[in-house]
Amino acid sequence: MNKVLISVLGSDQPGIMAAVAKVIQQRHGNIENLSQTLLENVFGALLLASIPDSETPADLQQAIETACDKMGLFINVHAWDERTTDWQKQKPEVQPYIITCIGPDRQGLVAEVAGALFTHGVNITNIQAIFKGGKNPMDNLMVFEIDVPRATVMDDLRDALNGISQRLDLEISVQHRKIFESVSNILN
Amino acid sequence: MLNQKDIISTLQMVREENLDLRTVTVGINLTDCVSDDLATFKRKIYDKITRYAGKLVETCTRIERRYGIEVANKRISISPIGVVAAPFSSEQMVEIALTLDKAADELGIDFIGGFSAMVEKGMSSGDKALIDAIPQALTQSKRVCSSVNVASTRAGINMDAILRMGHVIKEAAELTAKDDGLAAAKLVVFANIPQDVPFMAGAYLGIGEADAVVSVGVSGPGVVKAALERALAEDDNMDLSRAADVIKQTAARLTRAGELVGREVAQTLGLPFGIVDLSLAPTPNKNDSVGEIFEAIGLPAIGAPGSTAFLAMLNDAVKKGGAFASSHVGGLSGAFIPVCEDLSIAESARNGTLSLEKLEAMTAVCSVGLDMVALPGDTSAEMLSAIIADEMAIGVINKKTTAARLIPAPGKKAGDHVLFGGLLGEGPVMAVNLGSQENRFVRLGGRIPAPIQSLVN
Repeated sequence: MNKVLISVLGSDQPGIMAAVAKVIQQRHGNIENLSQTLLENVFGALLLASIPDSETPADLQQAIETACDKMGLFINVHAWDERTTDWQKQKPEVQPYIITCIGPDRQGLVAEVAGALFTHGVNITNIQAIFKGGKNPMDNLMVFEIDVPRATVMDDLRDALNGISQRLDLEISVQHRKIFESVSNILN
Repeated sequence: MLNQKDIISTLQMVREENLDLRTVTVGINLTDCVSDDLATFKRKIYDKITRYAGKLVETCTRIERRYGIEVANKRISISPIGVVAAPFSSEQMVEIALTLDKAADELGIDFIGGFSAMVEKGMSSGDKALIDAIPQALTQSKRVCSSVNVASTRAGINMDAILRMGHVIKEAAELTAKDDGLAAAKLVVFANIPQDVPFMAGAYLGIGEADAVVSVGVSGPGVVKAALERALAEDDNMDLSRAADVIKQTAARLTRAGELVGREVAQTLGLPFGIVDLSLAPTPNKNDSVGEIFEAIGLPAIGAPGSTAFLAMLNDAVKKGGAFASSHVGGLSGAFIPVCEDLSIAESARNGTLSLEKLEAMTAVCSVGLDMVALPGDTSAEMLSAIIADEMAIGVINKKTTAARLIPAPGKKAGDHVLFGGLLGEGPVMAVNLGSQENRFVRLGGRIPAPIQSLVN
């Protein structure tokens, strides 16, 4: 068996997962793990599957594309050899923090914050935007969930983010993840 | 991945609704500092306090940055000085208060509490010296707070002590006449005082406590108000059962935040964690007021008919939420209704919606009592004692804590304005329904016996 990484993107509609999974089943593959998300009306799925030695990623991709012909999806199948990055190989001890940027969307916001995080050795584990528009600042929110290695000096990171907050006229805060968890999860 | 609602609600509590840790209080046991030599005793208590709490302020600063929650005050509570300094005279007690003040100053904390005596059943020589020293001690020091427990449900009410406290309060206020009687604002008379309150001015470290312990006081009346307003806006059919649920859930969230920070401070200082005291403690700022919660739920103002009923529900819901969220909830835990520390309560007192008599009725169902109540300067010591006796009786019979922090503001009359500054705030002088300043009842002295615990009707 060989591993493949399958990505499926497109407008959300019923039947996408049914079609993709059916092709994999018919070709004797097995879905080992998957994640699906919705961004506004855009569907996105990432599947990790194993396929028989007789199968190739290109053939599988073509088969899925044929099955989803009328759905207007972007489908990609890559061979996946479980390669790991340096970060994963030598993952440092990290503390989870949450960065929140409050204020209207600004061009370059994600680039600036992500850039500063990268410079300080920080890994982003999740980003979500909550842009509802309007005047309530809490309706215009960008949230970065991050892992901060022990080697990162928090004060330096805060200084860098303060600089961005002044340049882009946003309120940026950095708080340890535990405060959100304790306040939100009453039962744990 | 955190969900959006959780992120937003936590951010709102911190950014807009004034969730803060009102206080991180390190309790320090001074019983091992006893000596009959004043210089030795002063040195020992100074050393022990500064040793145990030396890193308190910097630790709090670091942890408040980490979580993005303000720790508004850093405080210390100590073993009752009436006990640990029993051999000393009242003049020496004043010197001890100044040593405590110096330690507080050195540490950069805002208050140190425990210049206290427990005299619900009788007064030892140490207690007597301490009580005699209170007016001068609170006048000459800046950061020392004092409390005297004069009654308990098990011991009854010590009327001799209450009569004495009327004079002590009067004297303390007169010594600080130019500050509207500020010294009296740092003195609380209690019934059923808890051993582990982190809030001032009643904080002290009880005899049953460890060598040192970290406790936290969480506040957030603004958070409760906002939660009720949101629930009312979202649901046209919201009734009081639902409102009680909203308060409970909010109280639980506040408690969790407090326990998280408290435990981390304790761990960093290498001390055991004591309790979370979840009390809706207002500050004289908008959106940080207990009175505003009453308006949010639909009462015309705090003090209007219906206020006692809602306060009973609020106090109970806060306790239930807190007790569910943490197994170590202690102190006062409930709703405070201090007149001068709360903009909306002060306003109700000013415009007459809230009278002293209604306030007293409300203290039967709140978590403390007649708190930060400024009275006319010509209120006699006997009259103060009589007001205190009434308040103590409410606590003793209802098996709850009650307290009186009364400030007879020198030279001021009902309706005048007093200003204490900072957290102690400002407000109107409330009218006392005197009849006569004479009060033979309180002069009789003796003890009111402890109440019967059966035949509960």
